[in-house]
Amino acid sequence: MPAFCQTARDSLSAYVDGELPPDRAAEIADHLTTCPACSAEYQALLETVAALRSQLTRFTAPDVLRARIRAAVAATPSESVAAEQIRPSARNDRRRLTRALGVAAAVFVGAALGAGGTLVAAGGGRNAAPVASEVLASHVRSLIPDHLTDVRSSDQHNVKPWFNGRLDYSPTVLRFDDQGYPLIGGRVDYVGGRPVAVVVYGRRQHMINVFSWPTGSGDAPVATRTVNGYNMISWRHGGSERWVVSDLNAAELRSFAALLQRADSVSS
Amino acid sequence: MSHSVLDRFEQTIVPLLDDAYTLARHLLRDEHDAQDVVQEAYLRAWRYFGGFHGGDERAWLLTIVRNCSYTWRRKGPAEHVPYDDEAHSADAPARNGADARAIDDSERQRLTSALDRLPAEFREALVLREIEGLSYHDIARVTGVPVGTVMSRLARARERMRRLLKRTA
Repeated sequence: MPAFCQTARDSLSAYVDGELPPDRAAEIADHLTTCPACSAEYQALLETVAALRSQLTRFTAPDVLRARIRAAVAATPSESVAAEQIRPSARNDRRRLTRALGVAAAVFVGAALGAGGTLVAAGGGRNAAPVASEVLASHVRSLIPDHLTDVRSSDQHNVKPWFNGRLDYSPTVLRFDDQGYPLIGGRVDYVGGRPVAVVVYGRRQHMINVFSWPTGSGDAPVATRTVNGYNMISWRHGGSERWVVSDLNAAELRSFAALLQRADSVSS
Repeated sequence: MSHSVLDRFEQTIVPLLDDAYTLARHLLRDEHDAQDVVQEAYLRAWRYFGGFHGGDERAWLLTIVRNCSYTWRRKGPAEHVPYDDEAHSADAPARNGADARAIDDSERQRLTSALDRLPAEFREALVLREIEGLSYHDIARVTGVPVGTVMSRLARARERMRRLLKRTA
């Protein structure tokens, strides 16, 4: 191969991208009009690039990831942004991030506890406030990476048996995929000093945590409240207490809670 | 003030999520790893966002995603994760019955598996150029090498893709 062809071949890729200096690009363009071998090489390269651009997969981030990121960012105090400017040498340590999130969650829980007075007023029940705070804290913790689900499955026949042996009661695990609330998974969390079942559903980019545990108290009607942008709906029916928590808008969360309630009254 | 920083983050960085996820998916070749890494990258981006003054947000974010991906890979159990057909087909576009579409899908899979067989430095150059559409200058910034290196890596990566595709055709 002539020497010029050899160097031209090395430049073709950058020529395709328009990344050559103008004088070099002009040389290559000239050469391509007169050299059939390099011209064929150029055509083949164009075809490869066209195939790559049209066929390589552009992925779409799952809605749940979007929700996790939004929630985690919102839960991280903005002071950390300012602090980072003062300490730009902060090391890239993953655990630090998690810790920062933990702190953020704790701050958040503190804020929720501080709002206890309004919770009592809104919730009606005498013990509503501490439970609401704990449920909310659990919801916020669940947004920390890897804390959302212990069992991750969209199949209730995987999620429901998973709770056996971890709890002394069996939570309701249902599918509402057709209604647009896909089942994401489940985990065991602690509320009021006891392990409780949390079943996680999704709605577009939002996550919905459904807490349930057995209760000796009688039935209680639906109570709704909003704390720091999170909507919470709770009720007691047939010996179980349920809390539904999400950053989903109140109207849609109420529709979802209604689905659960309907399922509850059918099963009891 | 803090509110406006969050707004700015929401308006400039959050919309780039698909770009970030696409890079992580191709670098890690695993759906769940990619999700964890992108979340970590976003939190890191958020923490450093106050110190980010203009420039190209996409190149900036993709730099963080790339670094988080390699850090994750180094900590991971295996250097080479085998290509997982199942995981890939999970987010592949839904097929319809049309023949043309089926051909598209098999071509796409052939390309994806050829890409997965490339060394990481070639793969990242191709993804940043052909999918993300970055300039050589920005690819150089993201990958931390001179523009000349980007140029030769891309040329070699394309050549290898061409050969791999010819072989599997």
